[in-house]
Amino acid sequence: MLQGGKSIMNRNAAAFLKEEYEDLVNKNLDWKLRILESGSTPHALVDGKKILMLCSNNYLNLSNHPRLIKGAIDAAKKYGAGSGSVRAIAGTMKIHIDVEKKLAKFKHTEAALLYQTGFAANAGLIPQLAGEGDVIISDELNHGSIIDGVRLSKADRAVYKHKDMGELDKVLKDSDKKYRRILIITDGVFSMDGDIAPVDKIVKLANEYGAMTYVDDAHGEGVIGPDGRGIGAHFGIEGKIDVEMGTFSKAFGVVGGLVAGSKDLYNFAYNKSRTWLLSGSHPPAVSGAQLAAIEVLETEPQHVKNLWDNTKYFKKELKSMGFNTGESETPITPVMVGDSGKAKELSNSLFDEGIFALPIVFPMVARDKARIRVMMNAGLTKKDLDFALEKFEKLGKKLEII
Amino acid sequence: MVLKVGFIVNPIAGMGGRVGLKGTDDVLNEAVSLGAKPLAPDKAEETLRDFLSNYSTKKDVICWFTCSGSMGFDELKNVGIKNVEMVYSPSCVNTSSDDTKKACEIFLEKKVDLILFCGGDGTIRDIFCVVDKKVPVLGIPAGVKMHSGVFGVNTRAVAKMLHEFVNHSLTVGDVDVMDLDEELYRRGEWKVKLFGVAKGIVEPTYVQVGKTVFESISDDAVRDELAEHIIDEIKKYDDFLFLMGSGGTIDYIARKIGLDNTLLGIDAVYNKKMIDKDINEEGILNLLEEYPKVKVILSPIGAQGFILGRGNLQLSPAVIRKVGLDNIIVVSTPSKLVSIPFIRVDTGDKDLDHLFAEKEFMMVVIGYRLSRVVRIQTNNF
Repeated sequence: MLQGGKSIMNRNAAAFLKEEYEDLVNKNLDWKLRILESGSTPHALVDGKKILMLCSNNYLNLSNHPRLIKGAIDAAKKYGAGSGSVRAIAGTMKIHIDVEKKLAKFKHTEAALLYQTGFAANAGLIPQLAGEGDVIISDELNHGSIIDGVRLSKADRAVYKHKDMGELDKVLKDSDKKYRRILIITDGVFSMDGDIAPVDKIVKLANEYGAMTYVDDAHGEGVIGPDGRGIGAHFGIEGKIDVEMGTFSKAFGVVGGLVAGSKDLYNFAYNKSRTWLLSGSHPPAVSGAQLAAIEVLETEPQHVKNLWDNTKYFKKELKSMGFNTGESETPITPVMVGDSGKAKELSNSLFDEGIFALPIVFPMVARDKARIRVMMNAGLTKKDLDFALEKFEKLGKKLEII
Repeated sequence: MVLKVGFIVNPIAGMGGRVGLKGTDDVLNEAVSLGAKPLAPDKAEETLRDFLSNYSTKKDVICWFTCSGSMGFDELKNVGIKNVEMVYSPSCVNTSSDDTKKACEIFLEKKVDLILFCGGDGTIRDIFCVVDKKVPVLGIPAGVKMHSGVFGVNTRAVAKMLHEFVNHSLTVGDVDVMDLDEELYRRGEWKVKLFGVAKGIVEPTYVQVGKTVFESISDDAVRDELAEHIIDEIKKYDDFLFLMGSGGTIDYIARKIGLDNTLLGIDAVYNKKMIDKDINEEGILNLLEEYPKVKVILSPIGAQGFILGRGNLQLSPAVIRKVGLDNIIVVSTPSKLVSIPFIRVDTGDKDLDHLFAEKEFMMVVIGYRLSRVVRIQTNNF
């Protein structure tokens, strides 16, 4: 018998699994998984229904690009289905190194390191960059995986108001005298509003105080900057951000995390990140597709152009209908609804009309800022966009949003 | 589920203010002779009307318990609320604080889920004497003094809070009950005391549990984190004396650490042990002679977010100067910071207030090893 516990005989080891799941279901907090029965294409089959995909992160529609598919097949044929090990033991293949070299060149940085996923990059690297006696300064709207990475660190944490450089300056001033190392972390493109962090100003402030900068560019990689080279290129400060973290899972159309920066960062990161050291490396097919994705971005500028043309057209038309599209500066297009119940209703009605777009409701966003988050895609045609716009107008009027 | 709400209006609340009396406690007759008109009933009706027209969808979600006449029944009747049970009638026309207390005793017997009242700091003080932390309270602001954390900022905000409480999107947490000593105030002295800690309606703190899934966590869970943080600080600065400020947040933290803390007073901790309790200014200054290294733990008190100058006058300018501004640790639950955009300081010493003003901001601890920037305001109210 343990104090406060039950005797071993009476303990039901697995009962909590069912109980806690049912609790989530009762509170309507469980994930209701939609099943894709086709590829993640602009016209996809979801739960048996043909829909227009407006909520994938496949911004450039590269997940279905023939060169990426061929890259995956060729690499699998040449190197096999799996890599056989973690990178550190015997799982580093030449094709991994090829991707890293090509990526560094693409991003105009000294080096780039692949991680298994973007989450693995944040959770593995952030706790190594700051520890006891250090401080991590973070935008209040940073993505959950950053927050988890920060939690794994022994460093103190300070939060500043979203994109508020005055507050960041104040935290830096306060931290300057208290801490050994200072790490500033921000999303490059914020995933809920689609706005861009003032990374040029953040880097400038960081330099004043000798702070390190870490930008999670998951939604900017392949999207912003010339040829989609990301946040550093967008502000013309390539190589000045200490850590440019990104992902192959969104615009690049594959999967995997990445970190770009100096050669020193590269060496430090792969020797210290536990996620990197303790999980298997990417299968060759993944790397083959990644290589092809970078090549496509370098040689086929039309995808980034299409993405932005679509974004501009869609936003302009939504606005002329009377919709509010918030503060977005990127293909993430919030269609503001206000009330959470209404946003859910609009999303459901859109799905019935053949449009797949997810509602973002309180407390992810403020109580009166519920919205539908539309993710633009380079593969959508003008006809597709007009179809979507027509449905938005019809339902927007019906629900008295416009 | 039907929610049971006890509704009470202090019809004379706020009457002293219009005629310059700085409160209505003990001076009602004087206020009336100066021409003061009741205003609480109007404020109460304004709130109820706003609630009915903007928020109430199903008429029967609330079962109202109230007192006769202008202590609640008239206001409910005037706005057309039918689901009302009158549970108390005052014995004479001029209502008194005894009537408030008696009505609250009956509300407790009726097991109400919430007491909605209309009044000022004096009214909540009377309610709190009876109700303590047994039932959450929500105040419609109608008094002269409203320093307590139980009030919504205006009638509109109260209507919205009531709606959100009914819909379970707001939760129950600690709020401070403050009171200004009116006797002293009318003689020109400003002394706001922390009277106690009641249950109020607060914004929950949310944590992300999945990519797009958040869960609200209880105020106690957040304060557990704050306690962890303070335990670390006490260990880290093991040669420092820690002065524990007043109020519910710090009281909770201190008890979590295993200290027998004084809710309304200042206590001293050294080497994880309580060495002195409920110390006055002189006592603190004596301690500072003995312990030159000191940290003070404070939390914003009342509705306006004061960390100094309300409810903790023992922490005098002389004490604060000796401690040093850099040795002040401010802790707060994030939910409290939602309603308090500023940290306020009113030490009564202009030069010291100026030192705070120069800092412009403070890092406020809102979780374990987690802090955020909050601006400092030093102008008086």
